[in-house]
Amino acid sequence: MIEISHVSKSFRRKSALNNVSLNIPRGKITGLLGPNGAGKTTLIRIMNLMYLPDDGFLKYNGQLLKKDHLKNIGYLPEERGLYQDLTVQEQLTFFAKLRGLSNLEAESSANYWIEKLEMKPWRNKQVVSLSKGMAQKVQFAVAVVHDPEFLILDEPLTGFDPINIDLIKKLLFEFRDAGKTIILSTHNMQRVQDMCSHIILLNKGKVVSASSIEDLFSGFVSNHFVVRYKGTGIAFANALWTDFELVNQVELPGGVIEARLLKRGDKSVDDLIKNLQGHVAIEAVQLEQPNMDDVFISLLENLENE
Amino acid sequence: MRSILLISWKEIRQRVFNRSFVLSLILGPVFILTCVYILVKAADEGKKNVHVLIADPGDILQGVISSKEDPNVQYSFVSDYLEIDEFAQGKPYQDFDALLEVNEKVLNNKKVFIFYRDYLSDPVQNSIRFTFERRVEEVLIEEFSDLTVDAFRQLKQPLNLDFRSIMNPTNSNEGEAGWVGYFFGSIIILFTLFYGMSILRGVAREKANRVVEVMVSIVSPPQLMMGKIIGVGAAALLQLVLSLVLILSGLYLFQEFLFSDFFLNDSLSGVQVSEGANELLQHEFQRVRNNEVIHLLYDRINLTLMLPFFFLFFLISYVFYGAFFSLIGAAMGSEGDGQVLILPLVLLLLFSLFAGYFMVLNPASQFSSLCQYIPFTAPMAVMVKLSMGYAIGEGYLLWISFLILLLSSFLILWIAGKVFKSSLLSFGHRLSLKSLFRWRTRT
Repeated sequence: MIEISHVSKSFRRKSALNNVSLNIPRGKITGLLGPNGAGKTTLIRIMNLMYLPDDGFLKYNGQLLKKDHLKNIGYLPEERGLYQDLTVQEQLTFFAKLRGLSNLEAESSANYWIEKLEMKPWRNKQVVSLSKGMAQKVQFAVAVVHDPEFLILDEPLTGFDPINIDLIKKLLFEFRDAGKTIILSTHNMQRVQDMCSHIILLNKGKVVSASSIEDLFSGFVSNHFVVRYKGTGIAFANALWTDFELVNQVELPGGVIEARLLKRGDKSVDDLIKNLQGHVAIEAVQLEQPNMDDVFISLLENLENE
Repeated sequence: MRSILLISWKEIRQRVFNRSFVLSLILGPVFILTCVYILVKAADEGKKNVHVLIADPGDILQGVISSKEDPNVQYSFVSDYLEIDEFAQGKPYQDFDALLEVNEKVLNNKKVFIFYRDYLSDPVQNSIRFTFERRVEEVLIEEFSDLTVDAFRQLKQPLNLDFRSIMNPTNSNEGEAGWVGYFFGSIIILFTLFYGMSILRGVAREKANRVVEVMVSIVSPPQLMMGKIIGVGAAALLQLVLSLVLILSGLYLFQEFLFSDFFLNDSLSGVQVSEGANELLQHEFQRVRNNEVIHLLYDRINLTLMLPFFFLFFLISYVFYGAFFSLIGAAMGSEGDGQVLILPLVLLLLFSLFAGYFMVLNPASQFSSLCQYIPFTAPMAVMVKLSMGYAIGEGYLLWISFLILLLSSFLILWIAGKVFKSSLLSFGHRLSLKSLFRWRTRT
């Protein structure tokens, strides 16, 4: 879909992107991750042709990315911006026309999204009079009103209540199922894990990782165990000896305690069970599933160590 | 192109379809027409119902004086001496505004005093002087000559040795006409300033609320800039045209219903101008009778010449200054930023007003010539120069000014486009000349 090849960009001798090469897979939701200042916004702006790269090039469906392709791209920036004095209907119609839709198509599409996002009562209200959440919906609609095949969404769920988060998530899955390609830039790791099939991790202008979630997680083994037991906390702590560190524990109904442990060295589940046997009654032991936070931090730490 | 038109249309709608536009469209012409009315009335003040008492103990005027020549000045006679104190204090004289004392030796010493209560305006003084002199002239002819009055006046005409500039062979009043050009130039400057600031505020606001981020992901920054300049300019032009239509309609209605007395054709009906009266006398008579403001407004403005060039120079100077304003707006780091560059630009516009004023007073100076070729002052300079009239064979100077301004506008648009492109997505900085130069050179 989008091929980014050896792209570099500097601002006043400060490198924002350094030889970045990527392939954004078609019909998938790809998470764009990275700490602040990693180069995400610069990369997004280059994909929107808002900046031109100093080196390298971008291809869209095999062609060099050019202005004509922008009508197939939808963009939701992190810093939201709308014309405050236009009504919801005018706003959507204006941006739809600007993206190349005819007057009739623009009106029709604006109406569709006003209904789809449950904004009918606010159709003729100026944006300045809308609540933050409603303005966020309008902003989202602006990004998709021209039915783009490629969506770049920067923190698309920020500012929404749980009901609207669910609504937008469903829409994004609908887009994906319809074959649209989505880039989701966010700092919310849980959301990336829930929604994305691929991730791109940037740090200091370089690509740290670009793969599917499965591939990323398969190479990552958690250091944490979760144990459920019955017995005293002192006996449990003594049994861990120096092989495992107790991170935290909570008491569950029925006198069961759930503890989270960090292993030291190359200790296994077998070692843990051996340590605990005879001290407490073990109900369950499992290796904790890694989450995106762990993967993210781990990858960055590895990079720092290198 | 469609994007530019869409952005322009949004800007037009934003500015035109709101109450403040309609309000300013009504209030602007109403204000100007009110000013015109007040000026005309002020210029005419003192002409109304001035009652002059002529004390003529020697019966020199024989109780005759033509009051037809100025219906606003009424004359009455007394055949006795009248002390000034008596005139000032006496009850029977309180209705009189002035006392014209005709002494018995007036035909020899040609000395007459007129004592007034409140200062009489120049037109009224001229009217009284003109009427009285003509009556004394008639008496002198009757007393000392066998000639008819008309024949005497023909003979009396002085030789009119009229010195005229080869640059102005018709001897039109350049200074007076220059103010007309100054008025048109000022309109250009004021509209440019008002709508230029509107562009600047619009760009700064869109930067502040980050809608530019969405916009430049769809259109290029120069397209956005052009859309804004064209849209705001169209709104300005619309307001200008509608205001002019309203003002001209108002002036027409004034002419028909309020100022009808002032127009020569009407006023001539009540006046007896002798057939032998020459051009000079006619002119003098007309000056006495006519209101100066009316004369300037209705006779001196050559609308068919001024209006096309006025709109042409308005458009180009608007683009020239508008590009500057949009450039500053794009380069600003926040809505309150940019004073350091706005002030010089506003001062340049105000300098244009000064330059125009100087040109009216000193049309032949080198500075006046220079102002025509400086893009910042050219719109004003050309309007003043045009109203005063280019000398025969020098009309091409207007087109040189036009060309310089046009090329300068393209240059500034090009520079503004580059700055727009580089600076539109920069936020939170403080604007300086250094950063502006850096953005101009960055691609």
